[in-house]
Amino acid sequence: MKAKTMHPGTAGIPLEAQRVLQQIETRKAKYKRNMFIAFVILIAFMTISLIVLGLDFKFMLKWLPFVLAGSGYTFLVAFLAISLACILAVVGALGRLSKNPIFNSIATSYVSLIRGTPLLVQVYMWYLALPQIGKALEGYGIPGIQRILTLPAVPAGILALGVCYGAYMTETVRAGIQSIKIGQTEAAKALGMTTTQTMKRVIFPQALRVIIPPVSNEFIAMIKDSSLVSLMGVWELSYRAIKVGRRHFQSLEMLIMVAFIYWIMCGLLQFIQEKIEKRMARGDRRIS
Amino acid sequence: MENSRPMVKITNVHKVFTKKLHVLCGINLEVNKGETIVILGASGSGKSTLLRCINFLEEPTAGSIEVDGTVINAGEDDKTRENHILEIRKKTGMCFQSFNLFPHMTVLENIIEGPTTVLGQKKKQAVLYAEELLDWVGLTEKRDEHPSRLSGGQQQRVAIARSLAMKPKVMLFDEPTSALDPELVGEVVDVMERLAKEGMTIIAVTHELHFARDVADRVLIMDEGVWVEEGTPEKIFNNPDKERTRQFLAHIL
Repeated sequence: MKAKTMHPGTAGIPLEAQRVLQQIETRKAKYKRNMFIAFVILIAFMTISLIVLGLDFKFMLKWLPFVLAGSGYTFLVAFLAISLACILAVVGALGRLSKNPIFNSIATSYVSLIRGTPLLVQVYMWYLALPQIGKALEGYGIPGIQRILTLPAVPAGILALGVCYGAYMTETVRAGIQSIKIGQTEAAKALGMTTTQTMKRVIFPQALRVIIPPVSNEFIAMIKDSSLVSLMGVWELSYRAIKVGRRHFQSLEMLIMVAFIYWIMCGLLQFIQEKIEKRMARGDRRIS
Repeated sequence: MENSRPMVKITNVHKVFTKKLHVLCGINLEVNKGETIVILGASGSGKSTLLRCINFLEEPTAGSIEVDGTVINAGEDDKTRENHILEIRKKTGMCFQSFNLFPHMTVLENIIEGPTTVLGQKKKQAVLYAEELLDWVGLTEKRDEHPSRLSGGQQQRVAIARSLAMKPKVMLFDEPTSALDPELVGEVVDVMERLAKEGMTIIAVTHELHFARDVADRVLIMDEGVWVEEGTPEKIFNNPDKERTRQFLAHIL
């Protein structure tokens, strides 16, 4: 074949290159198609196996509204606990990075203590053990403290989950802040920004982008861990499902149903996460 | 100019990182309004550290720094110190080797960030001046791009515009062209040159000899934390007094 000099922009794409491009296109289309087929087969398989198991769909449908009524509690607990966790995480992260020894040591021991004990123990601690602390304090002459420290189940659950997830997220936020290059802080300072302005305007917005995926992870885990409040007799999603299932000896139906409800809720969260990530990625060369 | 106070006055500044790492050993420097100073020296000689001491990105261990009438003595610790540091930073613009633009903001947002956040200007007013500056550095069409879409030279020009938006009295350049591809150096040096011609007080650490020779009023050579020699570019480049200067220039020329 005779070699031809190609001028960029004037000559067309050579035949071989066109063929390669074509191949890449076909491969992409094939991949998409195969993915789709795989999902369809998977869903079909799941549906069939549910039918084969002889699930009582009528029964499931009948109790669906009753179980779903518990989702209010699940959302309430998860939402408030997440909000609390976020606040604690930011304060905790600033504490972990602080040079103030009091602030720093409090944040460090908070993370260590909470991460080092089971959530289950913490939940009971807030619910059952706190009133006892109140009683002891009342013995020292603080009137009415026991009443205040005797928490109803839902607030106890929110506090337990919020404080626990706050500790994990503290480390996530800290890592996010530390991942921002020192040059950013220096540039902000050189402009005359105070430490607070630097954090608010330069560091946090960039750290946020880094921590969105791990924080979403925590959110999703939290939705499911909110079922722990059922231990204190709160009629939330899983508690209702388990109750009904036991009473009618149809636990399988109810458990599968409630699992699906959780899955859909978490899927929703994942969808929101992806949307936020895309928005945050503006200006990021790796994406565009 | 003779009678007025210098714009920048550095008196007996020391920077000691550890007992073994004594980077600046009693540096004195006076820079007059409108002067362009170029500091040359081998890497590790302390020139960047000196520059960063002027706006307190590094705290001098001893000595005093004065910028446009604001004086800060090292080691002096009172309530007004933090404010004085902020004051000096508002009066000095700094350009870094690695640009350090804010990647989550557009070019325009980068430039108005200082005026709006630090000086409390109205956004409208800040945008007007930012557009003027963008025009001045020749990047009007990049107004709404993010920094990652810009070449190194363009990023550094935006960084210069960002500093200028604060209307600084002094510009500090910390090796502004060292991270650039050779063909992009010219556009940045060109902007620096125009800035010097418009009367800005400039202290630059750079290996751009063309800038040192043609634009600088004074060239200073630093080695191991002390001045080796200072003088006009003609003298330093053509007829230096010290052997160390000769060695250094032979090395980089």
